[in-house]
Amino acid sequence: MKRLLLSLLSLVLLAGCAKKENLLVMIPDAGGAVGAIELKNRQGTAQLAASGQALTLADRNSPPAGRAIAEQELQAIFGEALAARPAPPKQFILYFQFDSPQLTPESNAMLAEVLTTVKERASRDIIVVGHTDRVGTPEYNQSLSLQRAKLVTEILLGKGVEPASIQTTSHGEGNPLVPTPDEVAEPRNRRVEVTIR
Amino acid sequence: MRPGLTGMEYLWMVNQMRKHLVLGMVLLLLSGSPALGEGPQIGTVKGTKGLVSILRGGATLPAPTYTKVLQSDTIMTGSDGAIGILLEDNTLLALGPMSRLALDKFKFVPAKNEYAMQVRMEQGTFVYISGLLGKLAPHAVQLETPVGTVSMLKESSFMARFPEEAAPKP
Repeated sequence: MKRLLLSLLSLVLLAGCAKKENLLVMIPDAGGAVGAIELKNRQGTAQLAASGQALTLADRNSPPAGRAIAEQELQAIFGEALAARPAPPKQFILYFQFDSPQLTPESNAMLAEVLTTVKERASRDIIVVGHTDRVGTPEYNQSLSLQRAKLVTEILLGKGVEPASIQTTSHGEGNPLVPTPDEVAEPRNRRVEVTIR
Repeated sequence: MRPGLTGMEYLWMVNQMRKHLVLGMVLLLLSGSPALGEGPQIGTVKGTKGLVSILRGGATLPAPTYTKVLQSDTIMTGSDGAIGILLEDNTLLALGPMSRLALDKFKFVPAKNEYAMQVRMEQGTFVYISGLLGKLAPHAVQLETPVGTVSMLKESSFMARFPEEAAPKP
């Protein structure tokens, strides 16, 4: 019983009750990759670029200091916020047959999974985004990608998805899957992405 | 007085402008676009626990799941609250209890190469998981915190904790 009380007490202390500090900790993204951020204040700058790497500082007039932080402590401090994280959006990429308003057979088959996902999540937040490759002017591609996106939205509406749940937009040539120089054809970029959130 | 106009003409012109201004504002309000003091939609509330609210245009509003999050909103959680928000670019934000997050600016228009994200993590605990904006334009992300400004060198995810401010500093 005493041991239990002691470990509960240390957990509370770990949560920083006694002496709460400002804290920044790097975490990996869903794919496991870690980024790099920089904190800048009057005392200078400090970078974080490794998973689990942490900085602590008393206030904006203090220099940042590196800090080791255990998984247990992270859970104690950030447990509530972590539990409140939304489910990551699920994305489907649909392709059209060449120069046609018809989806490819593979993409047609994917539609069933799209609809199941919408139902499972009771999602009212579906984003349909059209994309093109870099052949053609940005303005032309903005228009073409929107046309393609609208075609996919029509299909989803036809399958019973609520109109108010769908946002239909286009990114033109500005968001390629496979980056290419201008005016280079790349079929993998000529796509409609359906994201269910 | 402007040169070339008589006093009467000037007064008439000002009156016309005033009428059009009033008409314009009435139309704007009726059109359903965000009222002055609100921004465009930048995200959605995806899940909540306990007491959560949105401070918008001076009013405190409830923020249940499915609530639209607008530019200029401040998200707040109570002592038992937690909230998960998804921004339009799939940036994922989560707040633990006793937290405040001001979403000052968010612009994500890849077709026009327009990106901006300026938020203030004022107090509490935060989980930030980068979305497309951080991937396409990390330099456009600026996060103000009580201890300095956080900028991104590349798309990044992190957690942060800023205890409640004590007495205001000089």
